[in-house]
Amino acid sequence: MSSRLVVSCTLVTFIIFVMLPTFYLISYVFLRWDEVWYEVFANPIIGDENWRQIIKALIFSFRLSLSTVAFDLIFGVPLAYVLARKRFPGKGLLEDLVTLPLVIPTSGFGFATLVTWTTVAGLGGLLGMRSGLISLNAVAPFINVPFILFIVHVALTFPYVVRTVETKIQSIDMTYEIASRTLGAYSLTTFRNILFPLALPGIFSGAVLAFARSLGETGATMIVSGVSTTASIAIVRWASEFKIPTAAFMGSLLVFIAWVIILPAEIYVSRGRRAHSLSFSVPMNLTRRIIRFERFLSRKLFFIKDIVPLVIVAVAVVIPIAVVLNSVILYWSADPYTGKIEGGVVHQLFGPSNYFSHLLKATLTSIIVALVSTYIATCIAIPISFIIERRWYGRIIRTMLKVPLIIPTSSLGLSVLLLWGSSGLNLVSSGIWMIILTHIVFSVPVVVESIIASYEGSGIQMYEESARTLGATAYNAIEAVSLPLIKGGVFTGFILSFTRSLGETGATFIVMGRDLTIPVLVVNMVEALAIPAALFTSTYLIALSLVMLAIVRVFTQR
Amino acid sequence: MPEVKLVNVTKRYGRIIANDHINLTIKDKEYISVIGPSGCGKTTLIKCIAGIIEPDEGEIYIGGRLVNNVPIEDRGIGYVFQNIALFPHMTVWGNITYGPRVRGFPPEETEAIAREMIEMIKVTARVDAYPDELSGGTQQKTAVARALMTRSRLLLLDEPLGALDLKVRAALRYELRRIVKDLGLTALHVTHDQEEAMSISDRVVVMRRGRIIESGRPIELYMRPKKLFTANFVGEANFLVGEVKLITGEGSIIDLGDGMKILSRDRSREMGERVVVAFRPEFASLGRTCENALAGKMTSIIYSGDLVRLHVELPNGDVIVVKRSLRLYEPIPRAGDEVTVSVPPENILVYPYPERGLHRELSLE
Repeated sequence: MSSRLVVSCTLVTFIIFVMLPTFYLISYVFLRWDEVWYEVFANPIIGDENWRQIIKALIFSFRLSLSTVAFDLIFGVPLAYVLARKRFPGKGLLEDLVTLPLVIPTSGFGFATLVTWTTVAGLGGLLGMRSGLISLNAVAPFINVPFILFIVHVALTFPYVVRTVETKIQSIDMTYEIASRTLGAYSLTTFRNILFPLALPGIFSGAVLAFARSLGETGATMIVSGVSTTASIAIVRWASEFKIPTAAFMGSLLVFIAWVIILPAEIYVSRGRRAHSLSFSVPMNLTRRIIRFERFLSRKLFFIKDIVPLVIVAVAVVIPIAVVLNSVILYWSADPYTGKIEGGVVHQLFGPSNYFSHLLKATLTSIIVALVSTYIATCIAIPISFIIERRWYGRIIRTMLKVPLIIPTSSLGLSVLLLWGSSGLNLVSSGIWMIILTHIVFSVPVVVESIIASYEGSGIQMYEESARTLGATAYNAIEAVSLPLIKGGVFTGFILSFTRSLGETGATFIVMGRDLTIPVLVVNMVEALAIPAALFTSTYLIALSLVMLAIVRVFTQR
Repeated sequence: MPEVKLVNVTKRYGRIIANDHINLTIKDKEYISVIGPSGCGKTTLIKCIAGIIEPDEGEIYIGGRLVNNVPIEDRGIGYVFQNIALFPHMTVWGNITYGPRVRGFPPEETEAIAREMIEMIKVTARVDAYPDELSGGTQQKTAVARALMTRSRLLLLDEPLGALDLKVRAALRYELRRIVKDLGLTALHVTHDQEEAMSISDRVVVMRRGRIIESGRPIELYMRPKKLFTANFVGEANFLVGEVKLITGEGSIIDLGDGMKILSRDRSREMGERVVVAFRPEFASLGRTCENALAGKMTSIIYSGDLVRLHVELPNGDVIVVKRSLRLYEPIPRAGDEVTVSVPPENILVYPYPERGLHRELSLE
């Protein structure tokens, strides 16, 4: 079999399953512009009400995402610095805690946060109050977004900033900082002049990832958003009301925004290693004042950088999980406040509403979806990784692969629905198979990134060449040498993708039809106010993903 | 001014002692080198002085001031790194003026010092070039200029020439000495290259396993090393084991076994003591030129450019090296020839036989 045939087959599969849906979504808006125009801008009854809704949701989303990213940067960069440069006991645990929101299904996590802050079962009850600590719609000062929503988005995006910046700082030679200090610069002055400009590409790409993630977050947002509507929630709502043109228009707007952000960022980050310092001239007396201020901070207040990020991690990640675990126990047999057994976990699971059978069915659906989509994604990802590493157009493919990772998942779900469903190719109808098709789209990039990470550190090219000099054919060399070398990367990618599929909510909502997955079930339970059942299911999800994380950790440490 | 004094400086990494009760005084305007095999603790020592590493015990004084808890930026030192560490995102000018800028010097003053420093150090690069556009040698000169811009009188050089090519290294080492002497600086230079240390410093300190084992002027270390390890580490030496047979007015006669005897002017050892005899290959010559003559058989010849190294096997099986410069019209014996090797008694060094054995004493670990 010639290698050209293999490459073309891989590329065709890749384009059809991974890239086509997004393009179809955008072309849908253009092809059916009349419908879009009629429904969004010129509806005879409501006029351009839908357009105004779109603008309102977009502005709200932007305000939320921008303030989230700003917060992430202010506290995430110092934490990344500490994790990259300092050694202390418990560092591995702290890194895991920061990463945890990436693996926990977001609806479960959102529910945990909701319970913690707004219900009597959470902090309110622990502090002896008769209600939750704050109300669901309490607005955070200055940024004017609901407080709970803000906390959830910070927790979910924090790992992107911290881990990206941490990796970047680790790659910067520490001698630069020491050199700066020997020349008389205080630690903060050194950070401003040396580390910050050198780490800027990493900070930038972390911020972009966090922004994209916050913009597209659906699962947790649905649970905690209360009366506010973000852009990605709006898509889910419109899709479920069969306002497909409006949803498609909004979806393409979000895809377009994601593109506009990611492309310049990719170009900037890959521009080469010389990051020119930001040179702006500051008057001399001001410079001196800045330096004196930095001296003060370096000497007296530097411990703040160690303490505050820890508090954030504790508040946003640890407490909600602890509260949920605690609540499940409290509510096990009956509502601890009213004493009614109808309010207990057991009654809700096995009583008349019989959530337990729903849960079993959802578990089955979730696992089938996760296994099948991850398996297919891995089959596409392995040859694609080789193409990325060995062909001149590899960089282009790699950039294109970022798209499914950053576009809002509800847009993604919508695009798959439109392409494969009755309004497009009409090959698949809503349900488990369409969920699988959707999950393949974002699973391929996850697995590819993981494979490439292990590929690049392993010197595969050299080993393969030496296998060739010993008489192996091209295929033999790949099978006998390369595949075993990237095995770890493939496995890690498999688990990461499996976990992600297990937790996905936004896209699944749009394409699921009558087949529910566990995260969607949590949202439904919350909407039906079956809180104890939701508590149990969230705990179940968190436990599942912790097991996954443990497996990854054991495997990557070897 | 900047006299550096170390008192009982100790630094441990787990069970490894990198610096074991180091006592050292560097006099004002002295150029001192620290040499030793890898892992001997020389880098830890210089980092302790700079404040990059805090010692576990002991005191460090710079110019009479105890600096143990003084942060790096307040120690007033110039530090030159092995990997050069010019800030990659700044130009030559940006790098050189960095120190004054972060200390808030007025711009006119900064510019004047920078011009003067560029002139003095002979930084030939364009000031708007970025470090990755310069050759290694120019980069390191720029780094020296940067280190001296803060008017620091103490220059710490941490293997400054280690990353450079051989020729550049040789040229730059004299430049370094010139700069230090012209500016009247105190300099501490860490290197594993003993030739570099010998040719630029006023005093050389030899370290091994976290301790200072000897220090002295380069010529002393070469001609009269006090320790067996130094004799081996600084320059090259032949070692033979023997026993003191007789001490006379002329010196001591050492019996090397198999009928070989050798005379040394050193009379400090006792009769019957087991000793190690050392002499440098360049002090030995072929033929009977003095009373110390050892007969042996040539085993091999190695040419290394300007020198020839002759390996001679003695009757007891030891192989010694004789080094001589390559001269035309002077016949060189061939392998297998019977030869006589002579060493003047003045150049024969005698050491007590080490308790742990000769091999371990000389080991570079």
